[in-house]
Amino acid sequence: MTAVNKGAGNDSEPILKTVGLTKRYGKRLALADLNLEMRGAGVLGFLGPNGAGKTTAISLILGLIGPTRGRVEIFGVDPRAHPGPALRRTGAVLEGPSFYPHLSARDNLRVFGAVSDGAAAARVEEMLELVGLRGRAKDKVAGYSLGMKQRLAVAAALLSDPELLILDEPTNGLDPAGMREFRELIRQLGRAGKTVFVASHLLNEVEQMCDEVAIIKEGRLIARGPVADIVNRGGAIELKASDMQRAKEILESLECVRRVTLEDERLVVEAPAESAVELSRALAEKGVYLAELRPRETSLEEFFLEVTQESA
Amino acid sequence: MNSLVAAELLKIRKRWMPYVLLLTMVAGAAFFIWLIGYVSYKDNPADEFSGEALRTFAFPWSIASLLDSGQFWGAALFVAVLTSSTVATEYGWGTVRQTLIRGQARSQYLVAKLIGIALVCVAFLLVALAIALVFSLLATAAAGETITLDVPDGPSVPEIGVMIARSAAGILPYGLLAFALSVGGRSTALGVSGTIGYMFVENILGAVLNELGGVAADIRSLLLGHNVSSLIAANRIGSGDYVSMAPRDAALPGDLPDVWLATLIIAAYCAFFLVVAFAVFNRRDIPRSKGTGCHCMGQWRRWP
Repeated sequence: MTAVNKGAGNDSEPILKTVGLTKRYGKRLALADLNLEMRGAGVLGFLGPNGAGKTTAISLILGLIGPTRGRVEIFGVDPRAHPGPALRRTGAVLEGPSFYPHLSARDNLRVFGAVSDGAAAARVEEMLELVGLRGRAKDKVAGYSLGMKQRLAVAAALLSDPELLILDEPTNGLDPAGMREFRELIRQLGRAGKTVFVASHLLNEVEQMCDEVAIIKEGRLIARGPVADIVNRGGAIELKASDMQRAKEILESLECVRRVTLEDERLVVEAPAESAVELSRALAEKGVYLAELRPRETSLEEFFLEVTQESA
Repeated sequence: MNSLVAAELLKIRKRWMPYVLLLTMVAGAAFFIWLIGYVSYKDNPADEFSGEALRTFAFPWSIASLLDSGQFWGAALFVAVLTSSTVATEYGWGTVRQTLIRGQARSQYLVAKLIGIALVCVAFLLVALAIALVFSLLATAAAGETITLDVPDGPSVPEIGVMIARSAAGILPYGLLAFALSVGGRSTALGVSGTIGYMFVENILGAVLNELGGVAADIRSLLLGHNVSSLIAANRIGSGDYVSMAPRDAALPGDLPDVWLATLIIAAYCAFFLVVAFAVFNRRDIPRSKGTGCHCMGQWRRWP
């Protein structure tokens, strides 16, 4: 299966591309034949249960581990063979933020800035301000909480103003307010033309900040698509009517309706969303009037559970 | 590369370890000059070993004795510990991953680290040597001896530089061994214990090979420690003995490989250790570290 993100109508060279990416540790297959493409601005959520292979995929993409088979291209370049051209335009937050504990936040960013390039070093103060750590910038990172380290990791990732951001469980350790602000940042970055790849198992988070999702399980890509399509893919309409029993009988007689069930004092009509007008008209003609009508949305969580259980 | 080396120096100089190691080296030098040398000499000035004790602490003979002991303990204690710790803790902290995802080539990462470690080792070991020489000058004056370079076979100032370079050449391969072990094993303990173990085991092996004679004795000529001994022996001032804190065979220059041949063999060891370190690091997977931390209820202050 191949996941393709075309972002804002950009048909240029892929920013991120994996072809048949496979990683095997002894007999254990950690990642199997992953084909992914990201071509423009936007946020792709990379979902999977714990141990599904998300971190392995990210480590392969960033050249930290070598593939058993397949290849990775970032901006058309293999990041393991040519890390400079591929990764200098990429920022990443790895799972479990790692810093020099004996250095301050400012010194940590200086070190990572020196590794990135000169321009990155000049953005240290700006990034500290961005993530709200300027007041604690002189403190040694050893005394930081996980949430503070996570914020520092985001600052380090954004230091070189990257075009591609790769984030592995970026909201780990953040409090609810921090999570909300982080979601907003990611959405802003996507709108600002950045390409963002976010691996997470927090479905609600992904649903709120991503344009598209790709789902992996046991190392295999099992589903992908735009979040909007997944959420609206239910093909069901919920309604309340003046006479529920009569409405059920009328609707069941319609050709476009597959099934009608009563759930929580609402009728759930399995029919295409565009048939809403037809349903409304049919009920009105028989003297049954609508109090409420809306398309039924499927949450990403429902979709995720559905596809991951189907593939089991 | 300059900014990378500057970053390495920042990382190392902000750790407490180099300073503790420096203090240990200085304490060792004080023990060596004052107790092993000066006190032994003053307690029994007419003793048959008093000349040996004098050459241990009195200037300029102390230069050779300090460089002899300094080569062994500088390599085993300072360089091996600092190198192994500097390399291996990056794995433990997970910062090696953080660095490599920024586009730095792996070989560039190792080169910057090597240069940073080398600069710190040179600076700190020279400081330790300078302090030890001050101890020696004070002890020489306290013993009523004249402070001068003008002794039989005494070195000139440039020759002192050559002596220091020989000693440094004896430290370098062990530093690179510690580097290769800690890069390969991702462990400070392996780097330190492997290097110190190698130094001691090699000494024992050398003695055994020498006893066996014949081809075995020839093989001994290829041992790293035997060739380092050749460089250290070339530092001798005159023919008199001195006390050495280095647990090595105190062979005379005539029993050891030629200095230039020894230098070549040491260079070959250095090249081998470097090739191993770079080959392993360039090929290896760098998996996720087991990070620790605690959850907090921090606040993001402002997004742009």
